[in-house]
Amino acid sequence: MSIATGRTQETGQGIGQSLLRPDGTLKVTGEFAYSSDLWLDGMLWGATLRSPHPSAWIRSIDVGPALKVPGVFAVLTHEDVPGEKFYGLEHKDQPVLAIDQVRYQGEPIALVAADHPETARRAADLIEVVYEVREAVTDPRKAAFDLTIPPVSVHGNLVRHQPVRVGGTFTADVVVTGEYEVGMQDQAFLGPESGLAVPAEDGGVDLYIATQWLHVDQDQIAPCLNLPKDKVRLTLAGVGGAFGAREDLSMQIHASMLALRTGKPVKFVYGREESFFGHVHRHPAWMRYEHGADRDGKLVYVKAEIVLDGGAYTSSSPAVVGNAASLGVGPYEVPNVFIDAYGTYTNNPPCGAMRGFGAVQACYAYESQMDRLAEACGLSPVEIRVRNAVSQGSLLATGQVIDTPAPLADMLRELDAMPLPGPSSLDLRELPGGVAQTTHGEGVRRGIGYGVGIKNICFSEGFDDYSTARVRVELLGDEPHVLVHTAAAEVGQGLIMVKTQIAQTELGIDRVTIVPADTTVGSAGSSSASRQSYVTGGAVRAASLAVKERLDALTADGRSLTQVLAEEGPVEETREYRHRRTFPMDPLTGQGDSHTQLALCVHRAVVDVDVELGLIKVVELAAVQDVGKILNPLALEGQIHGGTAQGLGLALMEEIQVRDGKVLNPSFTDYLIPTILDMPPMKLSILENPDPHAPYGLRGAGEPPTLSSTPAIAAAVRAATGLPLSRVPIRPDDIALAVLA
Amino acid sequence: MTTLTVNGTEYPLDLADPRVTLLDALRDRLDLTGTKKGCDQGACGACTVLCDGRRILACLTLAAQCDGREITTIEGLESHPLQDAFVRHDAFQCGYCTSGQIMSAVALLGENRAGTDADIREYMSGNLCRCGAYSNIVAAVREVARHA
Amino acid sequence: MHEFRYERPATVAEAIRAVAHDPEADFLAGGTTEVDLMKDGVFHPDLLVDITRLPLRGVRRDGTMLQVGALTTMEELASDRTLMERAPFVVEALLRGASVQLRNMATIGGNLLQRTRCRYFRDPAVPACNKREPGSGCEAVNSVARMHAILGASPACIALHASDLAVALVALDAVVHIQSEEGERLVPLTQFYLMPGETPDRENVLRHGELITAVDIPLPPEGTRSIYLKIRDRASYEFALASAAIAVIMDGPVIKEARVAMGGVGTIPWRGFEAEEVLREAPATPDTFRSAADGTIRDPFIVPGTAFKVELAKRTLIRALTEVTS
Repeated sequence: MSIATGRTQETGQGIGQSLLRPDGTLKVTGEFAYSSDLWLDGMLWGATLRSPHPSAWIRSIDVGPALKVPGVFAVLTHEDVPGEKFYGLEHKDQPVLAIDQVRYQGEPIALVAADHPETARRAADLIEVVYEVREAVTDPRKAAFDLTIPPVSVHGNLVRHQPVRVGGTFTADVVVTGEYEVGMQDQAFLGPESGLAVPAEDGGVDLYIATQWLHVDQDQIAPCLNLPKDKVRLTLAGVGGAFGAREDLSMQIHASMLALRTGKPVKFVYGREESFFGHVHRHPAWMRYEHGADRDGKLVYVKAEIVLDGGAYTSSSPAVVGNAASLGVGPYEVPNVFIDAYGTYTNNPPCGAMRGFGAVQACYAYESQMDRLAEACGLSPVEIRVRNAVSQGSLLATGQVIDTPAPLADMLRELDAMPLPGPSSLDLRELPGGVAQTTHGEGVRRGIGYGVGIKNICFSEGFDDYSTARVRVELLGDEPHVLVHTAAAEVGQGLIMVKTQIAQTELGIDRVTIVPADTTVGSAGSSSASRQSYVTGGAVRAASLAVKERLDALTADGRSLTQVLAEEGPVEETREYRHRRTFPMDPLTGQGDSHTQLALCVHRAVVDVDVELGLIKVVELAAVQDVGKILNPLALEGQIHGGTAQGLGLALMEEIQVRDGKVLNPSFTDYLIPTILDMPPMKLSILENPDPHAPYGLRGAGEPPTLSSTPAIAAAVRAATGLPLSRVPIRPDDIALAVLA
Repeated sequence: MTTLTVNGTEYPLDLADPRVTLLDALRDRLDLTGTKKGCDQGACGACTVLCDGRRILACLTLAAQCDGREITTIEGLESHPLQDAFVRHDAFQCGYCTSGQIMSAVALLGENRAGTDADIREYMSGNLCRCGAYSNIVAAVREVARHA
Repeated sequence: MHEFRYERPATVAEAIRAVAHDPEADFLAGGTTEVDLMKDGVFHPDLLVDITRLPLRGVRRDGTMLQVGALTTMEELASDRTLMERAPFVVEALLRGASVQLRNMATIGGNLLQRTRCRYFRDPAVPACNKREPGSGCEAVNSVARMHAILGASPACIALHASDLAVALVALDAVVHIQSEEGERLVPLTQFYLMPGETPDRENVLRHGELITAVDIPLPPEGTRSIYLKIRDRASYEFALASAAIAVIMDGPVIKEARVAMGGVGTIPWRGFEAEEVLREAPATPDTFRSAADGTIRDPFIVPGTAFKVELAKRTLIRALTEVTS
């Protein structure tokens, strides 16, 4: 396995510098070992038999034909699960392998291990399953509210209902209403799910896996294998993107079961199609909003009903619903709030974590509403937002006081003041239609739109959210050297640089090595919720400071650091770091200090729309984001670009199409993500208003841009076309045909 | 026995069962895992390699078809300036598409198509990057093209 | 993937013989469609006859015609200077048709035989597909359709022909050279493709064992203007929702001669003879263009998901005509 090593910078070090990726050289030479690249002699290949039906009873499973295939070593069903039969992030409701019924298309039913991946695949296809197909429950609103609909889950059809209630005035001079939909988005990481399970001599298993959270995997795997946790050891393998899709388990238990059964290493690699069935997606949403304001555009109230389809199993839906509810009015001061956010169970594909996590869907709706309100009040999109913007001291809808800088109005003014791009250049490729050069300007209208997003950073609602870091200073080749060991998953976000830079800053030592993440050190929590710089950064800082304190004491007698390390040996400290405590939302009123940190990003989108043909060219995206403290400028910009690009994808092209519970487009031919031609250049302004509660004053940065780019682009397209466009993604036909009508 | 020439080395390959793509041959038989499998159906570009100097997709090419051809993979680049430029411009995050991006860009330079940013974007549009590092990919390719 | 044998004969005659004498054999060229469909389990030949090294590659000018070897790659043809000068819309169709990587692999002959992207055809787990399993029905007509045909379609099949190149070539009356053990025959591309009718599994006039060896592209007269305009869901690397290939000869504001074909709408690359009739000797005005569009998109067969294509296709054609005549 490749181990990324820290390297000394020639000039500058520590936080604030653009330390290049220590694993970059391995990634540009092809040497970096992703989970799909792992190889052990004699290993077997796993394959999964999945349900073709979204809802069915399983009347029988006959593995006999598969077992007869030469090269097959094991075929397993739910009966072979050694321990607990269910797992899950919030509720243990997902069967390791289907028991008596399937609740979504693609649900795993049986496993095969064979000496060749094709053999395993073919054998899996030979397993005979007799289904009794049921009518699938696929309408989340019916599932939530129609009591005659049969329950999909043992928990009924409602994952969570979270109301938010503030004030009692729900009349106003100016009222705008709207219904909005967000399609089901996929994380679509480029490196499909994969991993290698190796049986160990102690009866346990060593798992090399691409995941976002080693310890929560371990917590879920061990009981299902009926093993103590210390016998389920995980090491992070190279991760080909995550974006939330690796927070839930995929093949971890499956590979371990086969490895333990066969006594051989077992490797799983999902294909692209299987990947679409192998992880959760972003919840599709149906939202009804009503905004009331006075004639000056000052918000009086917001009412909202938000329905998020969680699909067949719970995954992280409860927390997603919590976010949609608590952030459902956006970063605006609203004295009266009436929100009902629902998460439902259906026989649709399970949904869970994706970058932006519940805040994305609501943001699209409330920002669309703010534009309608602006129009109704005769104000500009910027002005309506400035007039209602939160600032430090404002109350969120949950009653939580924003007790750190939140200069939204200033951010909006700065965004507004950024120079606009000129008219489209003479290069026709810059017009809608791009390289297809569909126009010399006929039918093309420009539109400008704004989007504002607020995202909670770190886990919320009382979760004990922490990270652990072990920092060790020792001599290596007669020079002081730092080893930083955490279980935090580097998924491409650049945490590996941040950890290195923090150790350099606190210890004043250039040479830093990041030890591979594994479960021999305490949990780091998830690489999600934009939290790792905050929490693991905080842990690395705390451990570094503890080491520094000891080193300072040891060198107080005048010895050099090198001398001390030579005479006393390595100095090592392990620290846990927790952010400020959060609290659950009141189940009836939604009130409570549920978030520890809030981050703002604002986007301006400039689009050219060919209104006759429905083609959209995003000309420019500008963003202002407050990150508290910039740790690594280059990597930070990459995060903003990336988050913005995924928001662009949701606005204009990305949707998993589901009909009767079945996915219609599980391929990169039919599920489109933005190409290099779709993503325009960006203008960025990054602010540093510190959050005194966070290490270095930083704010998590990876998610906020994903929120605000979608509504900004949608608003720009509306401005160009005059169409309501209440659903994303917006397709050419939505524009071309509507303009006709 | 088929002979596959990869990065200047000749590899004998038993293709008695010819159901092996170039991509699987490289990854599973020659242990050259730098070439990535993103979609296995020609829709992402992660498996881009050079065949006789031209960029192709290894996932839709049968290994048997490459008998006697010169294949170049990411492992065959010897400190190409694009590799350094990709690191310095942070032209990737997770890095999974990077081998394909770089091989595609190497070919692009050879095709003399990196004259403008618009050209770079057009002729790199067969390589998806989900992390959205596109601006930095353009910057990296542009820099190397200018100094070529 | 189904098991198969692989052969690479040295001559065209041997290759044809190898396929002709094995009913389960197939030619293999660029493989960009074929290998993909073999992985999906849609194609399962027992024998693949690799023709990529046969001497059927290269572009030759022959008077007012370009003769293109069937194994010339899309990228090679796209860089042909004569084609660029005389029929740039063919080059545009090639460049819009696929990424550089795919263009380096895909051949001209293979491109003409490109199979539909209909997702139901490409998924053997879907039982109903008359193209894959004659007589089994059509899932696309009854389920969700969008990237599907509205012209030449029927309740038996609405699979779209996905090629961009073929659209431009039908406009130019390209001619396909077809070789078999019996000898060579020439078929105009406009007569090469078959409407699905009751036999959607038969897409063209090729018989088993016949090989496309070359395509003749008649060069339009000097002074011809042309355009290939493609509408799609993202800026690149995506199939057409609608496309138009048009070549015109202008006499001042009047269209003297026009060739029109459309992609993204038909079960075959759709030649717009009616539009050509309307356009000939007509003034280049919006009214003319609209009636040309109405003439082309006549009696569409639509399902809910494809209804939008009727107007979108017309506008695509009108825009293309506007661009090319202005």
